[in-house]
Amino acid sequence: MTDATSSQVPAAAPSPARSSLLTQSALMKKRNAAEARFKAYGVAAICVSLSVLAIMLWTIFSDGVSAFKQASLTFPVTLDADALDPKGNRERAEMMRVTTIGYTKLLNAQLLAHLEARGISTEGVSDKDVAAFISRDTPARLRDMVLEQPELLGQTITVEGFATGRIDGYIKGRVTRDTAALDTNISVAQLDLADRMQDEGILDTKFNWGFLTNPDASDQRPEAAGLGVALIGSAYMMALVVIMVLPLGVAASIYLEEFAPRNRWTDLIEVNISNLAAVPSIVYGILGLAIFINFAKFPQSSPLVGALVLTLMTLPTIIIATRAAIRAVPPSIRDAALGVGASKMQTVFHHVLPLAAPGILTGTILGLASALGETAPLLLIGMVAFVANYPAGPLDGGVLDPATALPVQVYSWASRSDPAFIERSAGAIIVLLAFLVTMNIIAIILRRRFERRW
Amino acid sequence: MYDAPNLETRVTQTNTKITARGVQVYYGDKQALQDVDVDILDNTVTAFIGPSGCGKSTFLRCLNRMNDTISNARVEGEILLDGENIYDKRVDPVQLRAKVGMVFQKPNPFPKSIYDNVAYGPKIHGLTRSKAELDEIVESSLRKAALWKEVKDRLGEAGTGLSGGQQQRLCIARAVATAPEVLLMDEPCSALDPIATAQVEELIDELRASFSVVIVTHSMQQAARVSQKTAFFHLGNLVEYGDTSHIFTNPSDPRTESYITGRIG
Ligand SMILES: Nc1ncnc2c1ncn2[C@@H]1O[C@H](COP(=O)(O)OP(=O)(O)OP(=O)(O)O)[C@@H](O)[C@H]1O
Ligand SMILES: [Mg+2]
Repeated sequence: MTDATSSQVPAAAPSPARSSLLTQSALMKKRNAAEARFKAYGVAAICVSLSVLAIMLWTIFSDGVSAFKQASLTFPVTLDADALDPKGNRERAEMMRVTTIGYTKLLNAQLLAHLEARGISTEGVSDKDVAAFISRDTPARLRDMVLEQPELLGQTITVEGFATGRIDGYIKGRVTRDTAALDTNISVAQLDLADRMQDEGILDTKFNWGFLTNPDASDQRPEAAGLGVALIGSAYMMALVVIMVLPLGVAASIYLEEFAPRNRWTDLIEVNISNLAAVPSIVYGILGLAIFINFAKFPQSSPLVGALVLTLMTLPTIIIATRAAIRAVPPSIRDAALGVGASKMQTVFHHVLPLAAPGILTGTILGLASALGETAPLLLIGMVAFVANYPAGPLDGGVLDPATALPVQVYSWASRSDPAFIERSAGAIIVLLAFLVTMNIIAIILRRRFERRW
Repeated sequence: MYDAPNLETRVTQTNTKITARGVQVYYGDKQALQDVDVDILDNTVTAFIGPSGCGKSTFLRCLNRMNDTISNARVEGEILLDGENIYDKRVDPVQLRAKVGMVFQKPNPFPKSIYDNVAYGPKIHGLTRSKAELDEIVESSLRKAALWKEVKDRLGEAGTGLSGGQQQRLCIARAVATAPEVLLMDEPCSALDPIATAQVEELIDELRASFSVVIVTHSMQQAARVSQKTAFFHLGNLVEYGDTSHIFTNPSDPRTESYITGRIG
């Protein structure tokens, strides 16, 4: 058939070399093979990066999710008025005299009494070791509550408080009977008692909101440590960074891209901006320490100083991204605007900026993401300090109060010895990732809104 | 030799709108235009013809100082608009461009709605006091550009979503809307089909009544049809300038003749 068809075409040179379209030539095969190989490399590269990402996420989540749950003890406590308000006049000043030690004694006694009442044997466990179930955080909270509401005295209330880190670890599987045998802080008999208390519902694990709201806690009570201060600190810093870096970065980029003459000075500035983007972040920390704290005398550990340092750090990145976005706007749009008699400024603000906005947003969010995860410069300006008090509200000068930041909290927990802190460190990474994802989602939504206009 | 259909068009007006004397344009060290002297008349269509790269667009861009936006472009000589040197230090090019509108070689609508494209010029120049007036200008400009019928039901849609030819007519409407005194058109019909081309040519003829039109074109027929004056550029020189009928029937320079005949055959 093929022969018949080709012989019917007299006009074409009857070249025997005429190749059929149905068979591939050797060169075509080679080209196709090269293309197939390239696609395979691409797929392999994506697979490798995806699996690394998956492994990373899996380790973070398997280590960190447990930080969101916490073992707690629930038992009734009769608030003995004689012990907690010895003068009996319900005066706050008088009641303050009873320290947490007094409350600890009360709680210990009441827990023992409750166990006895429920018929739970404390065999082989000393009273002191039963008391060790109660976190040091619980008496402090109870004291605050009583000072707040003195009318509770004399009543029987249900107290719910953290169990200590080791008991929590046992329930989460971090502490086993084998490790307990080697651990002076916990005994096998205590673990048996924990089992019995769990059966009776006195000991239970619950979702731990405190992990998100509590401030950091000392080494003695890892179970009470939370990210509250770090979250506020990071939120303050991100807000301040956006407020400072966007106008600065966009204004600088617009000026350099649209207005500045091209000469040796602008070339110099350009080279310097590129170089600044490559400066290690810790250098910005040193700069911040020297300028903002030592020279300008801003308070140490404050989100304001942190934000200033992070702004300096992200500024070059944002300028570079914004300039690229501005440059990507087709010059014909500028010609069109100038052609109808728009001024340069009108051209930029009416036409160039709206078109560059998605690119600017992408650059900004990349810059903010790196600022959010930045630890080194914050260490230098003292944000790694142990901060037990929440900073004030943003309008009450909270940005000047000491605070920490999420990545710094991850770092400082990871460097403490108690395994309960290591777990919280992984939990904090999850929160950091969630923070980041939220920021990215906001950016994507904003970008969509800019893009969808046309 | 060449049967121009419009040879009877006479130059009715002799007021000079733009006077160029000794214009030299350099891009860096390279000279793109040499010693251009030309008088562009009011209420007249002037066609610039010549081979590609001869400097037609360059000269056109001198007339509204769009060359200012090219960093390495340098213009020497004198260009007077109504007797005022537009390259005078006191002249603000932004103000000049409101008087000398431009339609570019490639259609470049704003990525905004059709309405906003046309309304932008009148808005920034404060030509209207009310929304109704603005609507009026938008409609009449779109009608002038022979686009109204096609877009009147979708003024809110993106100007960039139109076809290439429609985009070019939108750009013409945008230029017309600011009511310029001179309209510069750089190959306005290169993306248009014959019907739209005819409409635009008709528009150009109408526009002549209210202002001076300068059009760059590669189509000899178009130059002959729409213009009263023709300037032939070659290698950066203005070779010949005169009445269109004269240039097309009896060119005095052999280069003009060979270009016209070479292109048309
Ligand atoms: N921005 C620029 N920088 C450097 N040289 C330029 C620039 N614009 C134009 N030129 C040069 O100036 C000369 C004239 O260009 P111009 O655009 O005016 O030609 P033209 O006559 O409009 O051509 P065409 O008919 O193809 O549009 C060309 O040699 C071109 O290479
Ligand atoms: Mg051109």
